[in-house]
Amino acid sequence: MGLLNYLIRRLLLMVVILFGVTIVVFSIMMMLPPGQRVAIYLQDERVNAEQFEALIEKYGLNDPAPVQYARWVKSVFKGDFGFSVTAQAPVVDGFKQYFPVTLELVLLSGPLIILVGILLGSAAAVNKDKPIDHFARIFSIVGYSLPTFWLGLILLMIFYGYFGLFEPGILSNEYRDVFFSEGFKSFTGLLVIDGILNNRWDVAADAFWHLVLPTINLVILSSALIMRLMRSSMLESLGQDYIRTALAKGASKKVIIAKHARRNALIPVVTISGLMMAGLMAGMVITETIFSRPGIGRWMAQASLRLDIPAIMFNVLFLSGVYVLINLVVDIIYAYIDPRIRLA
Amino acid sequence: MDKLIETKELYTNFYTYEGTVRALNGVSLSMKPGETYGLVGESGCGKSVSVRSMMRIVQSPGKIESGQINLFMSDKDHQKGIDILKRSETYMQSVRGNSISMIFQEASSSLNPVLKIGDQVGESFVFHRHEEMVKEAIDRLLEKSEKSSNGLANFFRNISVKLLQSELNSIEKYDLKVAEIDKELLEIEDNEDEASIARKHSLNFWRDRCQEYNFLIKIQRKIPILNAYQRGIGKAIRRNVLQLLTELGIPNPSNIIDRYPHELSGGMQQRIVIAIALACHPELLIADEPTSNLDVTIQAQILDMIKDLKKTKISSVLFITHDLGVIAEVCDRVSVMYAGDVCETATVKDLFKNPQHPYTKGLLNSVPKVEQGEKLATIPGVVPNLVTPPSGCRFHPRCPYAMEICKNEKPEIFELNDEHSTSCHLYSQKEDK
Amino acid sequence: MSNEQIDKAPEAIEMKSKQHPKLQEFLFSLKRFLKNPLSIIGLTIIISFALIAVFAPIIAPPYKTDNPYQIPHKGWAQEPQPPSVENPFGTMPEQYDIFYGMVWGTRNAFKIGFSIVFFNLIIGLALGTIAGYFGGIVDEIIMRIVDLFYALPFLVVAMALVVALGRGLQSIIIVMVVLGWRQYARIIRSEILVLRDKDYIQAARASGASHLRVIFSHILPNSIYSVLIVASMSVGTAILTAAALSFLGLGSGVGYADWGQIVSTCRNYIVGPPGNRLAYWFLVFIPGFVISLFVLGWNLLGDAVRDVFDPKMRRK
Repeated sequence: MGLLNYLIRRLLLMVVILFGVTIVVFSIMMMLPPGQRVAIYLQDERVNAEQFEALIEKYGLNDPAPVQYARWVKSVFKGDFGFSVTAQAPVVDGFKQYFPVTLELVLLSGPLIILVGILLGSAAAVNKDKPIDHFARIFSIVGYSLPTFWLGLILLMIFYGYFGLFEPGILSNEYRDVFFSEGFKSFTGLLVIDGILNNRWDVAADAFWHLVLPTINLVILSSALIMRLMRSSMLESLGQDYIRTALAKGASKKVIIAKHARRNALIPVVTISGLMMAGLMAGMVITETIFSRPGIGRWMAQASLRLDIPAIMFNVLFLSGVYVLINLVVDIIYAYIDPRIRLA
Repeated sequence: MDKLIETKELYTNFYTYEGTVRALNGVSLSMKPGETYGLVGESGCGKSVSVRSMMRIVQSPGKIESGQINLFMSDKDHQKGIDILKRSETYMQSVRGNSISMIFQEASSSLNPVLKIGDQVGESFVFHRHEEMVKEAIDRLLEKSEKSSNGLANFFRNISVKLLQSELNSIEKYDLKVAEIDKELLEIEDNEDEASIARKHSLNFWRDRCQEYNFLIKIQRKIPILNAYQRGIGKAIRRNVLQLLTELGIPNPSNIIDRYPHELSGGMQQRIVIAIALACHPELLIADEPTSNLDVTIQAQILDMIKDLKKTKISSVLFITHDLGVIAEVCDRVSVMYAGDVCETATVKDLFKNPQHPYTKGLLNSVPKVEQGEKLATIPGVVPNLVTPPSGCRFHPRCPYAMEICKNEKPEIFELNDEHSTSCHLYSQKEDK
Repeated sequence: MSNEQIDKAPEAIEMKSKQHPKLQEFLFSLKRFLKNPLSIIGLTIIISFALIAVFAPIIAPPYKTDNPYQIPHKGWAQEPQPPSVENPFGTMPEQYDIFYGMVWGTRNAFKIGFSIVFFNLIIGLALGTIAGYFGGIVDEIIMRIVDLFYALPFLVVAMALVVALGRGLQSIIIVMVVLGWRQYARIIRSEILVLRDKDYIQAARASGASHLRVIFSHILPNSIYSVLIVASMSVGTAILTAAALSFLGLGSGVGYADWGQIVSTCRNYIVGPPGNRLAYWFLVFIPGFVISLFVLGWNLLGDAVRDVFDPKMRRK
C-alpha cells in the first residue's frame, strides 16, 4: 500500500513540475515579439507582411499572456505542438525521426559510462595510492576538465582526419540507400537493431561503426564523475565497522569487496548515475553537433539558433519528463538496494 | 608455562595526516588457555588496537610494525607457537572467525546494513564449514530421493548431487593442498637459515594463490538454472544458522533470520554479533567493549550471556573494557594499558588489592565507591597525543613518582611474582640496589 | 576514531593559550593544502592565467585601444596560417591572430567563471537560507522551484534563452546566472535544516535576536563552508558550459576574444587538405587546450580545497 501511495504522490509531483516547466518555457517564448511567435503556426516561412499581420490577429498573439497560455496548453493536449521549421515537419513527426538516433547513442554509451565509472572507481579505492588509483584519479580530473566539443573535435581530427576511420554521421552513403530502400523495414528506428532484424548485418555493423567515436567521447567525459563518486564512496564503505566484522569472520578480500563494500558504496552512485543518464539526453546537443548525428540534440542546437520555438518547447517538456521519470526509477532502485529506506 | 596466545614487543602505528600515531609501544601480553583475561585502560590507550593486531585486522592507515604474535592453539605441540605475523593472509582467514573470533562495540555499525541477518551469520559457515555444508546438502538430497518416487524430480536431484560432489572434491583437494603447506611451514617454523626463510616465503606465497576452486566449479556456479544446486547449500547454512540462534536463546530465530540489522534492537544486534563470532565454536573469543553504548539492563544480559558461554562453549575469553567493575566481575587475570604500554599484569584479586604501577593506583582511586566521603581522586594531566608521545615511560608527565630516569628510558617489565608484573622504574631500581 | 578524539584533546588545551581553535584549524589546513602537489599545480596554473589576464595589454598590445577584445586581423584571406614568429599560435580564417585571442580571452574566462559562480552563490544562498530557516510553505514552494530548475534540460533552455536575449557573452553569463543557482540552494538548505534545531540557535532565538541577526551571525557562518567548497569546484564547470554555448554559435561575433567562440570559428577546419590532413591542427588544438588547462587548474584547486577543508574528507 505504501508503494502505491508513494507512486501516486510522485506522479502528482511530476505533473506539478511539468506544469512549471510549461510556464517557464512559455515565458521564454513570451519574451519574443509576436512576429517571431507566428512561427508556431507557420508551415512555411514564405508569407508576406499582410498575411503575417493576419496570422498574428488570427491566433491572438497580441492577447494577454494567460489567455495565450491557456490556448497553447489546449492545443498541446490535442497533441498539436506546432510546426518545426528546422525539421521541416510537424514537431511530433520531427521527434519521431530524430529521437531514435539519440536513443541509440544513449543506450550504448550510458551503460558503458556507468560500468567504466563503477569498475574504475572501485578498483581505485581498493588499490588506494597504487598505480591504478593514480591513473583513475588523473583520468577523472582530466576527463572532468576537457570541454566536450574539444575532445570530440580532436578525436575526429585524429581518427577521421588523419586515419580516415570513423567518419561522422550515422551511416555511410551506400548503406543509407539500403536503409531508405523499399525492402528495408524500420522496426525500432535504432539503426543497429533494425539492421539485425532485417538480416542486414552489414548495415548494423556500419551503424555501429559510426557510434564508436561519439561513444568514446561520452565515456571519457562522463564516466569521470561516476568514477570519482564511486571511489570516495567505496573508500568510505571500506572504512566502516561492518568491514571489520567481515574481516574478523575470515572473509577474503574478494568477498569483502564484492559482497560487503561495493553494494553499500553503490547506494549514492545510483542517484548520480540516474541523473547522468537524464543529463546525457540533454548533453547530446554538443556530441551530436560535432559528430553530425541527426538526433534531438543537434535538432535542438539548430532549433535554438533559428528560434524554432515549437521544437524547443516540445523537447524541453520531453526532457524534463524524462528527468522526473528517471528520478522516480532511481528512488525505487534506491529502496531496493538499501533496505533502510522505505518508500512512503 | 601453558599458553594460548602471546604477543611480544608489538609495535603498531597509524599513518595519519596529522603524523604517525604510535598506538602500540611494545605490547607484550600472554594468555593461558581456559582463562578470562581482561584488558583495561582509558579509551585510546591501544586496547582495541592490540587485539586487532592479534587478529591482524588493523585497517589502513594502521600497520603492525614489528613484534611477534604467537598462537599456540590447534597445534599439538603446545611448546611451539606459530608466529602469525609471518603467515600468509589466507592462513589468517582460516584462523579468523574459526579459532579466534571477535565481537565489537557498537553492534549497530558492526552489522552490514544491506544484508539480511541470516546472510551475515551464515557467512561464518560459508568460510569455515563449507565442506560440512556441502555434505549436509548431499545427504538431504539423497534422503529425499530415497523417499520420493517421482522419477523426474529424482533425476534432477541426481544431477544436483553430482554437482555438489564435484564441489566437495575440489574443496577437499584444496584443503589437502593447504594442509600440506601448513604442515611444512610448521616444521620449519623456527628455522632461521636462509634456505628456510626463502622456502617459508614461497610457501606463504603459494598458500595465498592456490585457488580454492578449479575453473569448472567456477563456471558451474555461474550458469543459470544449473547453479540451482547451490540452493541446497544455502538451505543447509540456513538450518545451521537457525540452530545456532536457537542455542544462543535468541527468541523467534526464524523471523530474525530474514530481517535487516536496522529492524532489530541494540541488544538483539549485539546478540547477533555474538552469534556470528560463536558460529564456528572458537577457542578464543575476543570481546572488544561489547557492552558500551547499551542500556544497563541489556549490558547485564549480554555480560551474563558471555559468562554462560564461557562455561559451556568457549574455552577462553579476552575481555576489553574501560569499566573496572566489569573486569572485577568476569575476569581471572587482567592487564592495564596506558598510551600504548602495558603497565601492569596481575590476577584480578591481586590487582585490586595490591596495585603496583602508579597509573593503576590512580585508576583504582578514580573509581567512585559507595562509602567514599571525600572528593573523587583523579589523575592530573591529560592523555598524551600519540603522534608525539612522551619520551621514556609514557606515563611520566602525569606520574606523581616520576624520576629522572623515567624521562629517558622505557621501563622493562619487572616480575614481582609469577602472577604479577609491572613495567615501572620504581621497581626495577629497587632490584638494582 | 577514538584514537583521534583522544589525540585532539591535548591539542585543544594547548591551543587555548595560543590561538583561536578555528584559526589553528585553518592554518593546519592551509599547511596541508600547500603540501599537496596537485593543489600546487592548480594554483600555479591559475596564477599564471591571472598574470596573463592582468598583463594582457603588455603581452598582446591592442590594435584598437577602445575595444581591446576585438582580435586584430590582417586581411580577409580564408586560409588559416600555421604558427609563425608574428603569430605564435597561427591565425584563424580571416587572419585573426589566435595568440591575441588567447591572451585577451583569459580576461573573459575569469570574468565568466567568477561572475557566474558569484551570482549563482548569492541567489542560491538567499533562496536556500529562506527555505531552510523559515520552513513550512515557504520551504515547500522554494524547493519545488528548485526541483523545477533541476528538471529543465540546462543546455537546451540556456540556448533558447540566450538567443531570445540576443547572442553574446553577456547573455550567456546572464542566462547561466539565472539557471545555475539550484545546487547551492539545495546544499545550504540541507545544512540549515541540521543547524536550525541546534541548541545555540534556539537559544539565540529565545533571547530575542531578530531573524536576520540569527541568520547572519549564527546560521550562515556555520553552514557556508560546504557551499563554498562546492562553489570552488564549480568555477571550472561554469567556464566549460559557457564555452560550450559559445561553441554552439551563441557567443559574441567572429573576432571577439572568447575561447569558446574561437574554437567555434575554427571547427570546420579539423581536416586539412589532401596530403596534409593535420595541417590545421593548431586551430582547434590550441584554444581547446588552453580552455582545458584553465578548467583543469580550477578543478585541481577545487579538489584540493575540498580534500583539505572538508572535515569528511580530512581523515582519508
